[in-house]
Amino acid sequence: MRVEKPVHDLDAAVYPYKYNPSSWQQRVPICLMALVAALISTHLALYQWRLIESVWDPVFGDQSAKVLDSDVAKEMYGWIGIHDAALGVLAYLGDAIFGFAGSTRRWQYRPWMVILFGIDVIPLGIVSAVLVMMQAFVVGYWCFLCLVTAAISLVLVYWAWDEVRVCLTFLYRVYKRTGSYRLLWRSLCGYRSPEADAIAEEMIQPERA
Amino acid sequence: MWGRVIEMMLGVWLGLSPFIFGVQSDLTLLWIDQIIALAIIVLASLSFHARYEYAHLLNMGVAVGLCVWGRNAGTPPPFIHQNHIVVGLLLLMFAIVPNRASSPPAAWRQAV
Repeated sequence: MRVEKPVHDLDAAVYPYKYNPSSWQQRVPICLMALVAALISTHLALYQWRLIESVWDPVFGDQSAKVLDSDVAKEMYGWIGIHDAALGVLAYLGDAIFGFAGSTRRWQYRPWMVILFGIDVIPLGIVSAVLVMMQAFVVGYWCFLCLVTAAISLVLVYWAWDEVRVCLTFLYRVYKRTGSYRLLWRSLCGYRSPEADAIAEEMIQPERA
Repeated sequence: MWGRVIEMMLGVWLGLSPFIFGVQSDLTLLWIDQIIALAIIVLASLSFHARYEYAHLLNMGVAVGLCVWGRNAGTPPPFIHQNHIVVGLLLLMFAIVPNRASSPPAAWRQAV
């Protein structure tokens, strides 16, 4: 049977951090937190689909139901074709899926995966948190679980940023050193090259950079 | 290969959906769902074969098709078609996950 091993240390710390932002210790909490948010959104979606009769809200009482049944929510239902809470479930599951995929050196080996993860977590997370806040102000009622998921989105943004930053720094250095869009694109897609390998080595050993 | 396994599970769910949503009397919808479910499972299974390792990427096309079909089935779409949108979006996310996603790509592995 053919046995293979990685050519690099998969758990090396990466500049500018003293740890590896792609390590499982960094990524698993993000995935678990995203799954918690997905579970909460599932509860909200089940109410919007009327598969459960009421929505749990220990703080604002029946205001949650008014938010979930609001004209804004119905309008979004008309646009998207599924309830906004169901779309939230899918978005948080996406955070978890893209968080779990990839090795512990994916910032170098699969930058496209980190960028996809970053797009799902950072801009979409901020937009969804702003939308939840806006909904509260526009609709005039508060939804406790919606606020919890919005808070989780912002925590995920904070937790995911280090890995996205390292990945963007790696890609920026590839372009800056080579001046080649082709090599930048190939590095983004996860193709190996001596130039990108050298830059990655410098990033995990910053004293030589 | 966990992405492929979950794609297969999504295929099984899609195949069972007409019965779960109680629309199995609509034979056209029933058969289209069965054919799409089979396509998803076949494409995911083919990815286990080295020669067809990228077959799962075709599931992204299937996923987009499911979303478009579901979204264009009404405003809002009936539940069976909302199911198509949800399965389509999930499939889209899983289909992009590479085989052996938790290991380094082949270029960064060496035989010992």
